[in-house]
Amino acid sequence: MAAEQPLSLYQRYRGAFLVMAVLLIVSPIFGVILAAKIGYHEPLDVAAEKLHLHEENIGDWTPFKDYTFPGLPDTIGYIVAGAIGVAVILGIGILAARLARR
Amino acid sequence: MVHRGACAMHIPDGYLDPYWCIATYAVTIGFAILAFKKVSKKLTPEQITAITVLAAAIFVAQMLNWPIPGGTSLHFVGGALAGILFGPWLGFFVLALVVSTQAIVFHDGGITTLGANILNMGIIDVLVGYGVYKLVTRIMGNTRRARLIGAFLGGWLGITLAGTMAGIEIGLSPSFPYGIKITVPVMAGWHALLGIIEGIITALVVDQLYQRRSSLVYVAQKQAIPTHA
Repeated sequence: MAAEQPLSLYQRYRGAFLVMAVLLIVSPIFGVILAAKIGYHEPLDVAAEKLHLHEENIGDWTPFKDYTFPGLPDTIGYIVAGAIGVAVILGIGILAARLARR
Repeated sequence: MVHRGACAMHIPDGYLDPYWCIATYAVTIGFAILAFKKVSKKLTPEQITAITVLAAAIFVAQMLNWPIPGGTSLHFVGGALAGILFGPWLGFFVLALVVSTQAIVFHDGGITTLGANILNMGIIDVLVGYGVYKLVTRIMGNTRRARLIGAFLGGWLGITLAGTMAGIEIGLSPSFPYGIKITVPVMAGWHALLGIIEGIITALVVDQLYQRRSSLVYVAQKQAIPTHA
């Protein structure tokens, strides 16, 4: 009798990945398009502006600041940045799982 | 270009006093060591995979920033959800992974304030969500109704207290001119309101995962790491 093949990460969590893909595709509607339409600013940013405070810039260490991707329009960049975030998190998980197997 | 900036719960650099930054880092690192000790010998590769899948899903859910006319927004945080599904120790690692990725890769939330942001979303939200859910399901029994009510209340109170803690941290920092008499009621009140949505989403997701017998629930329960805080 053939040994049962272990399920891949995608097979095991197919539902979760499908939901993530759909959410990623629609995310610019909320995070970029509607945000621009209503002139959205985060509450802490608004409070800081009223108090004449500025976010302390301790350096720009990432090319993906504010979920953008260099050279891409904001909407597409938002999706690509989200995919990068997912890949980073899953990459850390896969690496940690491999280390745990040893 | 839309400057997404830091969300209400992601405190940027420069908002907290250095002593608060150090203190919150110390608490967060202390909790991380404790959590690691609790899970390290029992943690399986399947659990590690499951918590990172949940972390990735919460990361994506947090990107759906629903703008509200008036210039603010709301989005799902997910700390209570992680605590309910995986308990306080693994739930902490789920949110720590999400918040650290947001800060380091996307500059969403500060580096000096990363300790505070993980404390608020990865410790307080997770612990409160987990505790409330456990209390409700213990009182009402492990029924679908109890799970819905427990997850809703856990999601709502978790985000409310996490927002309150952010208000305390900001209010006690001299660089932010308003004291805690203003910052705490504002942050607590605002998050108590937004928390209703957080509670509804938490309840619906927990319910769906249980009804569909998701792998996430299976792994969390089958290879349960002690879920006692």
